Amino acid sequence: MTYVDLAPAPIAFVAVSEAVDDERDLVARAQARDASAFEQLYRTHMQRVYAVCLRMTGSVVTAEDLTQRAFVAAWNHLPRFRGDSAFSSWLHRVAVNTVLADLRAEQRRNQRVFTTENPAAFETAPPASPIGTRLDLEQEIAALPPQARAVFVLHDVEGWQHDEIAAQLGVAVGTTKAQLHRARKLLQEALR
Amino acid sequence: MNCSECAGKLNEFCDGELAVEEARAVVEHAASCPQCAAELDSLRRLRVATGALPRTIAPGRDLWPAIMAQIEQAGAAKKSASSAGSDAVTTRKPRGRVIAWAIPLAVAASLVLIANVANRHAAARLHPTGWQVVSLAGVPRVNALPLKSSGELRRGQWLVTDSVSRAKVTIGSIGEVSVEPNSRMRLVESAPTDHRIELARGTMNALIWAPPRLFFVDTPSGTAVDLGCAYTLSVDDRGGGELRVTAGYVALEYGGRESIVPAGLMCLTRPGVGPGVPFRIDAPPELRSALEQLDFGRADAAAAVRRLVDGAGADDAVMLWHLLGRSPVAERGAVYDALARHHPPPAGTTRPGILTLDAGMLRAWGEELGLNSFATR
Repeated sequence: MTYVDLAPAPIAFVAVSEAVDDERDLVARAQARDASAFEQLYRTHMQRVYAVCLRMTGSVVTAEDLTQRAFVAAWNHLPRFRGDSAFSSWLHRVAVNTVLADLRAEQRRNQRVFTTENPAAFETAPPASPIGTRLDLEQEIAALPPQARAVFVLHDVEGWQHDEIAAQLGVAVGTTKAQLHRARKLLQEALR
Repeated sequence: MNCSECAGKLNEFCDGELAVEEARAVVEHAASCPQCAAELDSLRRLRVATGALPRTIAPGRDLWPAIMAQIEQAGAAKKSASSAGSDAVTTRKPRGRVIAWAIPLAVAASLVLIANVANRHAAARLHPTGWQVVSLAGVPRVNALPLKSSGELRRGQWLVTDSVSRAKVTIGSIGEVSVEPNSRMRLVESAPTDHRIELARGTMNALIWAPPRLFFVDTPSGTAVDLGCAYTLSVDDRGGGELRVTAGYVALEYGGRESIVPAGLMCLTRPGVGPGVPFRIDAPPELRSALEQLDFGRADAAAAVRRLVDGAGADDAVMLWHLLGRSPVAERGAVYDALARHHPPPAGTTRPGILTLDAGMLRAWGEELGLNSFATR
């Protein structure tokens, strides 16, 4: 019988614990208006924020703009962050809300055409699924209608619940479900 | 349930939003309707592929300088406004600054909601609950105590049925399991991403409507990993297992060996060996005998493979695909030919590549057979 060596577990725990402490320290310094500490937080979380911005907009230019806006918003509201949730969760929500605010504004203006300007932007991340499959899926997500894409990304990629999405979008749960099903149907057909 | 009704329920089924009776109706319909089963499979593949997307993407340029500039600009403006005193009231703000602050203000209204949602999720993680268990017949026991009608199965507790008792366990919000007579089952873990039980002996029927790889059953000879839908798993007194899949897919894993079992197929597993090659539930006795010999016997493996290849038909593609990696080298070519005869290999694969078990080529061929999303995790 093989026995599992449990010795590494406490070491790993200590490492995670120290990382959490480091981040708390950085957040505290950033709350005290230390821009260098905030830059470190930016370096740690920037790729996660950019990913959700890019997927929800399908546009590299817009995603870069929204990533910047999200971090500026986070900086401005950081003094009120109480640490009830992880900083990463809080920042992620700030980013999503920034994108949704932009989406609503765009819908009102109804001017922008949502397309993927540069599908190769998705190639910067290491492939996590069979070659070709992930890139195809990213491109098809980017080609979805804006509202359906936002709902799809929030629900199926980011794991939000319908009631949360509906509250943020200011629509009924039935509407977000319909948008999600529409997005999936379009993706299924596109990937066949 | 007819096809139209089933089609209207598939999304909610995959999201675990249907009531148990509705979920069961979907499973039963899909089990007898190839068209709806294919649609369900397509939806599941999309969910699996989406779940595998990376959570981070690096932007093409460094965005920090622009962020820093906006932060400094906002800070300078704030200082200027406070030092200007009452003059600031009459000073018109630059349009750019209005835009810079408009988004943060819009976001501010959402922060209360953010905190509430985060707290709710944290609370759910910190206070895992047990699973509801209901007696279906006789008097099952939970941790040796008789279960009269219903109760709760908590982590670490055993559910035991005797020769006349049966029970139903609700697996969190992702499915249900019926435990047949003469069974011993333990709740190992109940976490959002790991619903795990141990089946030490007996038989259980699982109906799961969650995304793949959230429900696991540990047995003495392997772990059954739910890839969606319905199956029956039995464990005998020696620890050997028998898996029959009625809808969706299940993976059997043990010691680095994995068998993917789609609906209509079954698979045997043995302690110290792991899962054998999956085969049709209605496979003829001679084919089952040859597989038993190959997977768990000490007799001539090459002769067993030759018998399997000779008896295999178009419906045995999954069996042949698994055989590629489990046959003696000398027999692999015959397996390749038999599989290629009914299901030609996809573009980009070569015979020499498959015969040397090139992982990418095997994966590509498995994809053609509907196994890719699961076999290549």
